[in-house]
Amino acid sequence: MSRVITITSGKGGVGKTTSTANLGAALAMQGLKVAVVDADIGLRNLDVVMGLENRIVYDLVDVVEGRCRLRQALIKDKHLPDLCLLPAAQTRDKDAVTADDMIALANQLRAEFDYVLIDSPAGIEAGFRNAIAGADEVLIVTTPEVAAVRDADRIIGLVEAFEKGHPRLIINRLKPRMVSRGEMMSIDDVLQILAIDLIGVVPEDEQIVTSTNRGEVAVLDRSSRAGRAFSEIARRLAGEDVPITVFDENPGILNRIFGAFGIRARGSER
Amino acid sequence: MTALVAIKGGKEGLRLHLDESAVWSDVLGALRSQLDQGAQFFNGARVVVDIGNRVLTGDQFAELMALMREHHLEASALASTSRESRSAARAAGVMARPVARSIAAPDEPSEALFVWRTVRSGQIVRHQGHITIVGDVNAGAEVIAGGNVVVWGRLRGTVHAGALGDRLAMICAIELRPTQLRIADLIARAPDGLASGRPEVAYIDGNQIAVESWERYRR
Repeated sequence: MSRVITITSGKGGVGKTTSTANLGAALAMQGLKVAVVDADIGLRNLDVVMGLENRIVYDLVDVVEGRCRLRQALIKDKHLPDLCLLPAAQTRDKDAVTADDMIALANQLRAEFDYVLIDSPAGIEAGFRNAIAGADEVLIVTTPEVAAVRDADRIIGLVEAFEKGHPRLIINRLKPRMVSRGEMMSIDDVLQILAIDLIGVVPEDEQIVTSTNRGEVAVLDRSSRAGRAFSEIARRLAGEDVPITVFDENPGILNRIFGAFGIRARGSER
Repeated sequence: MTALVAIKGGKEGLRLHLDESAVWSDVLGALRSQLDQGAQFFNGARVVVDIGNRVLTGDQFAELMALMREHHLEASALASTSRESRSAARAAGVMARPVARSIAAPDEPSEALFVWRTVRSGQIVRHQGHITIVGDVNAGAEVIAGGNVVVWGRLRGTVHAGALGDRLAMICAIELRPTQLRIADLIARAPDGLASGRPEVAYIDGNQIAVESWERYRR
C-alpha cells in the first residue's frame, strides 16, 4: 500500500525541502521505491538540494497539462536508483495547477512508488492547499522558535480542517546546548503548544549547509548528525519503533576530561 | 412582548432572527442598537438571517444588507417563507432558503457551546452564549462569547467575554496567559512576567479588568 505524505510548515526557511530530500533518500536507502515531488511551483529548489537541476527537461506542470508523460518528467537520483524527483516548473506560478490536478498526479505516482513525498510551499494559500490535496498524511516541520511554532499551529489547524488526519511533527535545527542554557525552546515547550505526535528531532548541523549547497543529501554522509536524525525519522515513518534521540555535537576535549572526573557534559544528555 | 431581534446559535452557526410582524423600520432600529452594542462580537461574523413570514422588497433587503455591512456582519443566507423576499436576496447575491420558522425552539439565552479540542492560531470560536473549552487556546486564536468563557487548559490567545455588552461576564482558565483579554467594552493586555501557575479568573472590577486566583475569587 503506497503512501502519499506532504511535508509542510507554514513559515518559510525551517527545512521543508531539506527534510523532503533527506527523508526521500533515507527511505530509498531502505530499498523502498520513492518519488519526491516539488510542489513549490515558481520557486523550485528541491532539484537544487538534490543536485539534479541540470537534468530537468519536463516538470510537474508539463505532466499536468499533458505535454509529456509522467515517466518522462521523473528524474532518477544520482546515487539512489530507487529515488525519483518530479521537479516543479520554474517559469509558472501556483495557479498553473489545481487541487484536482494534484490529487490525480498523486494517484498516478501511487501506482509506481511505495512512498510519494510532496514538498509544500510556505504559506497558507493555494500552493499549500494544492500540496496537501492529494496527501494521505502530513508532516509538519518547525524550528524551536516562537514565530515558526505559531505558524505551525496555524497549519495544523488547517490540516485538521482538511481532514488529513493527525499530522506529525519534525523539530528541526534544535541546539541542545542553547536549550540547556534556557535560551531556546525545548522539545517539551514546542510539544506543549502544538499538542501533536513528534516523529523526530533534527539537531542544528553546519554540514547541512555545505551538503545542501553541493547538492548531496546529508543522509548519505554517515558522519552527519542531521543525516542520522533523518534516517531515524524515515525508519519511524516506515513503521519501525525507534526511540527518539537528540544527536548533539561530539563532546569536545574539555568535556571528555570533565567526563572522566564524573562531571556530565552540559547539553549532551537526552 | 418578544424582542424584535434575537441571536441564536444553531447547527450552521449564528442565526439572526428578525421579528416578522413588527414595523420594518422598528426592526431595523432594534438591529442597529443590538449591533452597536455588540460591535466586537459581530465583527467579521457570518449569520443566517431569518425573517420568517415577512415579505421584503428589494429596497428593504438592500437596507438590511447596508446596515449589516456597516457593522462588518456578513449574511451567509436568508431564511424566509416568502418567495419575494428570497428573490430580493438572490438578486443581491445572497443565498436564500425557504426555511419555515424553526419549530418551537425554546428560548435558551444561556445555552452554552462546548468545545473539546485545541483552538489553534487563526481559528475563531464565536457563540452568543457561554463557551466552555476543554483544551488549550493557543496564541493567535480568538474566542468570542456573549457570555462567560471557561478554558479547561492553557489560555494563550485572545478571549472576549460578554461581547454583546455584558459587563458581568467572566473568563477563567487553568493557566491564564492570554495575549489579550476583553470583557464587554474593556480591554486588558496580558501582564508581563510569568503566569501564577494556578487557575485564575478575570472579571470587571469597577472600570477595569481584574485577574485573581480562583481560590480568592470564590470567597
